[in-house]
Amino acid sequence: MNFELSQDHKVLQSAVRDFVEKEIKPIARKIDEDHAIPDLLVNKMGEMGLLGSYFPEEYGGAGLDMLSYTIVVEEVSKACGSSGVLISAHTSLCSGPIYTFGTEEQKKKWLPPLNSGDIIGCFLLTEPDAGSDAGAISTSYTRDGDDFIVNGSKIFITNGGYKGTGVLFATSDKNLKHKGVSAFIIDLQSHGVVILKNENKMGIRGSYTTAFALDNVRIPAANLLGQEGQGFKIAMDTLNGGRIGIASQALGIAEGAFERALAYSRERKQFGAPICDLQAIQFKLADMWARIETSKLMTYKAACLKDAKKSYTMESAMCKMLASEAATYVTREAIQIHGGYGFICDYEVERMYRDAKITEIYEGTNEVQRVVISKLLLA
Amino acid sequence: MKILVCIKQVPDLESRFKPNTAGTWYDEADLAFRMNEYDEYAVEQAVQLREQVGDTAELAVLSIGPDRVVEAIKKALAMGCDNAVHVQDLQAATRDPWQIAGIIAAFARDKGFDLIFTGMQSQDRGSAQVGVTVAELLGLACATTLVGFSFDNGTITAKRELEGGVKGVVKLSTPALVTCQLGLNIPRYPTLPNIMKAKKKEITVIPVAEILKEEALATTEKFYPPAKKGGGMVLEGDMGDLVDKVIGILKEKTAVLR
Repeated sequence: MNFELSQDHKVLQSAVRDFVEKEIKPIARKIDEDHAIPDLLVNKMGEMGLLGSYFPEEYGGAGLDMLSYTIVVEEVSKACGSSGVLISAHTSLCSGPIYTFGTEEQKKKWLPPLNSGDIIGCFLLTEPDAGSDAGAISTSYTRDGDDFIVNGSKIFITNGGYKGTGVLFATSDKNLKHKGVSAFIIDLQSHGVVILKNENKMGIRGSYTTAFALDNVRIPAANLLGQEGQGFKIAMDTLNGGRIGIASQALGIAEGAFERALAYSRERKQFGAPICDLQAIQFKLADMWARIETSKLMTYKAACLKDAKKSYTMESAMCKMLASEAATYVTREAIQIHGGYGFICDYEVERMYRDAKITEIYEGTNEVQRVVISKLLLA
Repeated sequence: MKILVCIKQVPDLESRFKPNTAGTWYDEADLAFRMNEYDEYAVEQAVQLREQVGDTAELAVLSIGPDRVVEAIKKALAMGCDNAVHVQDLQAATRDPWQIAGIIAAFARDKGFDLIFTGMQSQDRGSAQVGVTVAELLGLACATTLVGFSFDNGTITAKRELEGGVKGVVKLSTPALVTCQLGLNIPRYPTLPNIMKAKKKEITVIPVAEILKEEALATTEKFYPPAKKGGGMVLEGDMGDLVDKVIGILKEKTAVLR
């Protein structure tokens, strides 16, 4: 067993780190305050290749692997959780299923603009009455000649506000439950796609979380992803991979907060000495670091298993669960180490605390992750 | 046109440095390494020249050191160098500038490089001798401390930084060697697609014993951090308060007043 990154991964890590340090870190607070990631930054991330890391070069991707993607999301999220989830949802949840389940024509058509970042992708599964129970979606589709016609509504759609490309789930008959679900590639500029609102949130405020109404939206039959009725399987497989992205985001948020807490504990003096001389603070740092390292090992393991084309369902559920819980724990303790200053926006750990919470919820709540893990244990 | 850029991998300067057990240099354990910052400007300028000249140009990058320096080499390849030379040398950190320059000159002597770029100095040793010594050994025209560079028809126009912010312009013909100062350009990020492409570029490995012929002319005897200054105590307040405070401290911390 060798727990060291390869030289190629180290080169990538250091390149992304430099990019984040110069292009993202200085504006991370503004992204939160403005509730928006500047288009210029999205363009720069596209040029850097951060939006198509693990897809082959023939589809406009960088041709790297899942571990590289994990490192990208982690490094970006150290500075900005909003930018981290933009990459994660775009890559894992939109380009991912098109690459895995798309036909050659679909891949050639849809992936290059996604991989370059010219178009931002999203994943339209969740509905007001279908969250963890994804088989219960009621957005419907019917066939009409060469088109499908879709009606319904979708909520909590990360990256939805860009109105780019989406992977959409709809049912032919709600009574069929998950067997009735199909997946489609949708151009969100299509007629009948209406943004109801972009949500105002506790954290990841720079990231769009969008509610859509779909009113007689025509989707060409050529945009059916996989076979009819295969949608639920596509959704579950996609979320399986997506969890590695969210684990990476959570890991990055935790590391970002830890770096600040560690530095602050060295600088801040009370009782005539740096507070890191106090055992109360030392124990906090030890607990925080142990959780970060545990999460990192599991997240990298899940990514390596996916790269090796081995089963990774168990590990992706575990890394998402561990890393998100590490993120909420570490960011909370980072505020505690900062004391009153941690509660002030200037010190940024309060933003990281707000950004961390969602990672325990989206792409499968941690309760769902525990269901996945225990089912596999008892299978 | 054949171009060479010489780079060094150095520790991240934000690291906490400790002397090694012999006390002659820093201990490498737990240090993170990266490309010497001055060399990043050299690589960027070399890549810009490579792009300006087009496909008739060939740009090689060279680095000396243990296997970890391949990370810096790969970064340079991802920034746009065509191929690389890794002079494998576990003892590189103990070599003096004369030996390092000797290795580079021995490699470059019969290769016909038109232009060699180096950083002005390394961030760790900072001797600023290697570039100029290579130029001397190879009989090349040389300009140092570049903050501006242009190339036209075999002539280099180099803007140099002088003392106190004054600038000078130097013209020199190839073959030449230039050393690059911070701020010469804005080094590009290695993009992910270019990191991938760099994996396919050739890295030639040369064991140092094959090309090192020079004895060291200087040895580093000692490496040590500056002595820690004790943090003084600053008292504030009016005269009466200050006297009370001083008496309190003398009572508490010393045996002068009991």
